[in-house]
Amino acid sequence: MARVPIIQLDDLLIVTILEDIRDHDALALQQDLVEVLQRVSARGVLLDMSVVETIDSFLGRLLSEIAIGARLLGAATVVVGIQPALAITLVELGLELKGIHTALNPRKGMILLRRLIDGESGPGWSRAR
Amino acid sequence: MLAERRLLLAGEDDMIMARRHAREVAIALGFGAVDQSRIVTAVSELTRNVLRYAEGGRGEVLIREITAGSGGRGIEIIVSDSGPGIADLEMAMHAGYTSGRGLGMGLPGTKRLMDELEIDSALGQGTVVTVRKWRR
Amino acid sequence: MQDQQAAIITHRRQTISELETPVLQVWEGILALPVIGSLDTARTQQMNETLLQSIVETGSEIVILDITGVPLVDTAVAKHLLETITAARLLGAEVMLVGLSPRIALTLVHLGLDLGDVITRTTMAKGLELAFDRLGLRVVSRHAAPGAADRSPNPA
Repeated sequence: MARVPIIQLDDLLIVTILEDIRDHDALALQQDLVEVLQRVSARGVLLDMSVVETIDSFLGRLLSEIAIGARLLGAATVVVGIQPALAITLVELGLELKGIHTALNPRKGMILLRRLIDGESGPGWSRAR
Repeated sequence: MLAERRLLLAGEDDMIMARRHAREVAIALGFGAVDQSRIVTAVSELTRNVLRYAEGGRGEVLIREITAGSGGRGIEIIVSDSGPGIADLEMAMHAGYTSGRGLGMGLPGTKRLMDELEIDSALGQGTVVTVRKWRR
Repeated sequence: MQDQQAAIITHRRQTISELETPVLQVWEGILALPVIGSLDTARTQQMNETLLQSIVETGSEIVILDITGVPLVDTAVAKHLLETITAARLLGAEVMLVGLSPRIALTLVHLGLDLGDVITRTTMAKGLELAFDRLGLRVVSRHAAPGAADRSPNPA
C-alpha cells in the first residue's frame, strides 16, 4: 500500500500521482484529499501526472471525480504533466476529463491555479469543461 | 521464435504486470511511444474488465508477436475469462458503453485504440477478447 | 538491400507527414497549424503527434489551427478537429480555430454540430490579434507621432 502524500503549500495542495498507482491507493487519495481540503480550506489542488505512464478509463474518471469533489469544497484543480502520448490515447479512448483544468508542467500549473483562485481573466483560457 | 507471454489474472498486480509485459513486447516490436500507450491502455481496459466483472475476477492474458502473410509484424493480446459472459455484444460495442458501467465497458474505446478487435462471448460461457495492432 | 529500401521509404513517409502538417511557432507562446487538404483519421493522428510534441518543446499555450485549406468539414472531420483541440488542452494549450468559410459554418449548423466552446475567428490575422491580446501584447507602429492612436494590425 503506497499512500499518496498530500503536500500543503500555503493555500494549495500538491499531489504527485505515482506510476502504476493501485486502485485502492487512488481511491484512498480521493478520500484523503476531501478530508484535507475540508480541514485546511485549501483553494487549489495541483495533481502532477508526470510519472504516470498509463491513464485508463478508471484513472481518468477518478481525476474528474477528484476535481468535481474539490470544486464542491471550494478548490480548483489543475492537472499537470500529462505526456503527449497519453493525451492522444485519452482523447481516442473517448474519456472526457470533466471539471479539470490542465497545464503543461508544475510551474505553469501553479500560475494557472493562482489565476483561477484570484479570479483573474488574464492570458490562458483554460477553464473547467 | 516469436515472443509470447502468458499471465494469469487474479488481482491488480497481475494487471500491472500485464501492462508492463505488453509495453516490453511493443517496444521490442518497434512501436512508437503513442502506439505503446494505445496498446498498454487497451490491455489495462481489457484486464480491468476481467478483474471487475468476470466471476471471481479471474482470467488469462496472452501477449505475443504476430506476423502477417505480407511480412508485417504486430502485437496480439488475448484476454480471456470464465465469467458470466456478455449478454448483448452489439450493445457492448455501442459507444454509450464507454461511460457506463458493467460488462464490456470500455470496449468501443479499446477498439478505437487498436487495429483489430474480436470478441467471443456468450451468456454463461465467459469471454475472449482478442486485439491486434500492426507496425506501420 | 531490402532493409535499406524499407528505411528510405519510412524516412520519406515521415518527411512527407511532417510537411503535410507543419507546426509553426509564429511567436513566443503561439503555434500556428495550417492544414491543407482533407483530414482523415490517419492524418489527424499524425497532426496530433506533431502538434503535441511542439507544445511540449515550446511550452506554447496558444495554438491557431487554420482550416482555410480544408475543403470539406463533415461530422468525421469535426470529430477529428475536436480531438486535436481536446488533446492540446490536456497539455495546457488552447486551440483557436480559424479559416472556417461561411459554407463550412453553414454545413456545421445543418449537421447540428456545435463546436462547443471552441474559439473561432475567420482569418489567421484575426486569430493572431486575439492571441496577442490574450498574451497581453499589442502591436504598435514605430513611427507613430507621440500621442497618436495605436493602430491594431487589422482594421475591423
